[in-house]
Amino acid sequence: MKKRENWGTKIGLILAMAGNALGLGNFLRFPVQAATNGGGSFMLPYFIALLLLGIPMVIIEWAIGRYGGKYGHGSLPGMFDVMWKNKIAKYLGMLGLFSSAAIMIYYTYIESWSLGYSFLSITKSYFGLESFSEMQTFLASYQGISDKYFSSIATAYIFLIITFLANFYILYRGVAKGIEKLALVAMPLLLLFAIAIMIRVITLGTPDPVNHPDWNVMTGFAYIWNPDFSMLGSAKVWLAAAGQIFFTLSIGMGTLAGYASYLKEKDDIALGSLATVSLNEFAEVILGASIAIPIAVAFFGLTTTQEIAAGGAFNLGFVSMPLIFQHLPFGDILGFMWFLLLFFAGITSSVAMAQPVIAFLEEQFNFSKRKATTIIAIITFVCINLVVIFFQFGFLDEMDYWSGTFTLVIIALIEVIVFAWIFGIDKGWEEINKGALVKIPSVYKYIIKYITPLYLIVILVFWTYQDAIPILLLENVPAEQVPYRWMARVLMIVIALALSLMIYYAWNKNKKSTNYNENKEN
Amino acid sequence: MTLYGWIFLIVTWSFILWLTIFSVTKVLKHNKD
Repeated sequence: MKKRENWGTKIGLILAMAGNALGLGNFLRFPVQAATNGGGSFMLPYFIALLLLGIPMVIIEWAIGRYGGKYGHGSLPGMFDVMWKNKIAKYLGMLGLFSSAAIMIYYTYIESWSLGYSFLSITKSYFGLESFSEMQTFLASYQGISDKYFSSIATAYIFLIITFLANFYILYRGVAKGIEKLALVAMPLLLLFAIAIMIRVITLGTPDPVNHPDWNVMTGFAYIWNPDFSMLGSAKVWLAAAGQIFFTLSIGMGTLAGYASYLKEKDDIALGSLATVSLNEFAEVILGASIAIPIAVAFFGLTTTQEIAAGGAFNLGFVSMPLIFQHLPFGDILGFMWFLLLFFAGITSSVAMAQPVIAFLEEQFNFSKRKATTIIAIITFVCINLVVIFFQFGFLDEMDYWSGTFTLVIIALIEVIVFAWIFGIDKGWEEINKGALVKIPSVYKYIIKYITPLYLIVILVFWTYQDAIPILLLENVPAEQVPYRWMARVLMIVIALALSLMIYYAWNKNKKSTNYNENKEN
Repeated sequence: MTLYGWIFLIVTWSFILWLTIFSVTKVLKHNKD
């Protein structure tokens, strides 16, 4: 077995793990979800989901990862294979490789918009555009859908190339010298920028007290935090809260397990998971909730902000925020910081998505880091171009739903069943507590075994009924998008099949070489 | 903001801040282990 890399320091590991979890969703998706699902009363189902679903799943992923890493596996196929001696286990693990590889493809493109917009902020390129429609057209033009402000997609493409190269350079440098170094720089900067912007937002008060006295930051905070208890009875709110916990902690991609595989056998995972979760929640609930929505309410009023929130996270981040920055002193610098923090949040997550796929090639095919990184970079680049070219036809949305939403719940359910029911909760609990620097309450042994799987089954059933079936049948999809959405589906099927074939080939090859060595020894 | 809103905000922020400071400080203590 090849000697595997290890993390250099504990804080480097925690920041990398937190960076893995912390993404665009913390600053854009969370405030939208909280505001549109009952404000303060959303927090109750949110925290229940955190305790019963989020924390257990993070602990499980760390434990699966460290255990798999002991046997030289940095991705879910190998990890499942050592935990469950069944031929099907490694193919179930394929789903983890599939989702992280597929998400990486379109996530890199979105991440590059943040980098591009940080440049466009500091150069004041969008300053002077005063209305939502103008700013929406500016974004569409940047994405190559309109030619009003950008004659071609060249600007977006340059930032995509920079983002892409940065990702793969970091991955090529490896775990301790690349990913950990990135986290040690990007995470403190991200938090610093977010705190600075949050302070600016809180001190804004009422920007136009004469004409709009009720357009102020406090109304924005009230919108998020005032509880609407009548919504607690709504299944939609509970599902939205559970969904947010899922996305925010990067559960169900195998990326947390991938990072945990570089732990030493007796390294702690209990305190590590707790620190990762708490840093993520700090960035989400305290920082994320105090920026985009309150500032939007202060500048556009509550009704318009509700419309913006209903329009989705990109509407909030890439349309309303640039409009606001233009009206603030040092708005160019604030805009630069806002988009750069989104970029840092993105890149610390995207490298985590590619790492298990690279590790898979290194470990199962004995490829060098250079060879594995180059192969994945080439394939990813080809696929990203499809996302860029067919973006306006729903290609990205289709990939996002199947690989970035639906598959995650399935993988998480498989992970918890493999860990708590097949590997066994007693062995699993022992694994969790090995080297632990804090004691996890023993009630979690039962939560992991019974409550978390049940929670996931309920989410899966509801999501299948509510979203998956209509999306599968392409209901409400404009006719011109249908061929492109099918193209995205074919691409995802090809990725999944290719990964399955590679697993089949790798295990056969390794079995033969093991048999050969055993015969030689005899 | 209503009284319930303030209560939600203060309790939530205090809990998360405490948890973050507690866990990160403990991690830093074992940084080089």
